[in-house]
Amino acid sequence: MKPALKFIFAALVVGGFATVPSWGSAVLVQFGINALILATLAQSWNIIGGYTGYPSFGNSVFYGLGGYGVAIALVQYQLPFAVGLILGVVLAVLFAFLLGLPVLRLRGHYFAIATLGLTEVMTAIVSNLEIAGRNVGLILPLAKGDTLFLELSLALLVVTTLAVAWISRSRFGFGLIAIRENEVAAAVMGVNTTLYKILAFALCAVFSALAGGIHAYWITYLDPGSAFDVSLNVRMIIMAVFGGPGTIFGPALGAFALAAISEILASKITSLASIFFGVVIVVAIIFMPRGVADLAQNFRRFGWRYFQENIKAHRV
Amino acid sequence: MDNILEVRNLTKRFHGLLAIDRITFALERNQILGLIGPNGAGKTTLVSLVSGTLQPTEGSVLFEGKPIHRLAGFRRALLGIARTFQVMRPFPGLTVLDNVAVGALFGAAGSTRQLAAAREDANRWLHFVGLDHRARQRADALGGPDRKRLELAKALAMRPKLLLLDEVMAGLNPVEIEEVITVIKKVRDQGISIVVIEHVMKAIQSLSDRLLVLHHGEKIAEGKPEEVLRNDQVIAAYLGSKRR
Repeated sequence: MKPALKFIFAALVVGGFATVPSWGSAVLVQFGINALILATLAQSWNIIGGYTGYPSFGNSVFYGLGGYGVAIALVQYQLPFAVGLILGVVLAVLFAFLLGLPVLRLRGHYFAIATLGLTEVMTAIVSNLEIAGRNVGLILPLAKGDTLFLELSLALLVVTTLAVAWISRSRFGFGLIAIRENEVAAAVMGVNTTLYKILAFALCAVFSALAGGIHAYWITYLDPGSAFDVSLNVRMIIMAVFGGPGTIFGPALGAFALAAISEILASKITSLASIFFGVVIVVAIIFMPRGVADLAQNFRRFGWRYFQENIKAHRV
Repeated sequence: MDNILEVRNLTKRFHGLLAIDRITFALERNQILGLIGPNGAGKTTLVSLVSGTLQPTEGSVLFEGKPIHRLAGFRRALLGIARTFQVMRPFPGLTVLDNVAVGALFGAAGSTRQLAAAREDANRWLHFVGLDHRARQRADALGGPDRKRLELAKALAMRPKLLLLDEVMAGLNPVEIEEVITVIKKVRDQGISIVVIEHVMKAIQSLSDRLLVLHHGEKIAEGKPEEVLRNDQVIAAYLGSKRR
């Protein structure tokens, strides 16, 4: 598809989402909010994982900090929601800078494991903080209805996707891609690799924290286990990789597709749903390891041979 | 004398191994210095110390009179030092054009900041090294000789003042070597100073204004190519078996 066509298509999807509350059921609206938040998370993981090539398992920390920013502001200080969002973003960005510096020195598996540790550490810390309600959690004041949250999460996904679109064609983004492709060569060519990696980490902290803040206010309850949930981080990665990491629309597409598949499976064949979901993932990774975005781009050229080529190219 | 590069007492130790042992030399602006020596002599290490890929144990590196040996690699790139890698390091998933565009976007100060302009620039450099017909392919689709050309184009797009070429001719056939020699001479004519590591003797003789010979990390000879290649120590260390 031509870029212009893609953007028109994306605009139609956004428009479609915006009208859901006027015709859809309450269940559909709630599914929409969930899918939009997951898409935002997959899209922000795309910045550090897809473009920079650092598979972060620490993004759920940003998400959790965003949630706690809102919860603490609302419950403990009776501040407005917007202030809570800002507090969450500030916490998450601080965290990205402070921990990015040591953690982003590691690569590949080591980076993944180190960031995985961060979520456990945050769960332990927050469980012992009086201001965060210890391990009981915080109950937020009831909010004004689902339409607002649908609009908020839709707007956030649009902004996040625009940021990714900017990255894909900016000097900054080319620096990130160069780091992903070969970090030593990137440094020799004049990319300030340390700074760029930390900025990418901080950028995905901003969007993940906003998503966490919106979600916490919507659910009106937050505890350490659900805020710093590693399985949520795993879902972000699966969705981003399923859709196509390092592409503008792939991760959002992947999130919608997988959210829909798992929702349908869960309602039709409840007990076996997670098994089928697993099968979908495995099949997708074998036949289209570069994601839906790559499939859409190359299927017309290669036809069914596309899947064959992928199996050949990525056989271990 | 106007030296673009001065290396003083440069030493690099990897644990027990003394890879570079108190090397001192200077490169005049707009000249080509050939760096030769047997395998393991420390040629690539020396280039890495100048480009900032490695940090020296002792000694200093001066670029345009200013010490740079404590600077990170990317800062040296911004000052105007570019290098190629013997083991090529392309950005495999990017197109050939975008590989070079990264050089134009970053590299020495004054490089272009806009992607469209950087790609235009990259196209010119691809034409310069004779790779424009493959601009739209992915870099990992290139064969050996074309990868060498790509390394060169990436470095040139950075608009360096000093270019460090680490075996850009290895694995090329005689015709391709002739082409690369022509390109390197054209680069020098644009006012760029060059350090060349090369094993192809004929090439290095015809290119270099001066030669520097390394052996076991030490400098064993330096001077005009014809003098250096007559030097007994050099013949023994490097060409020994063939000439004797």
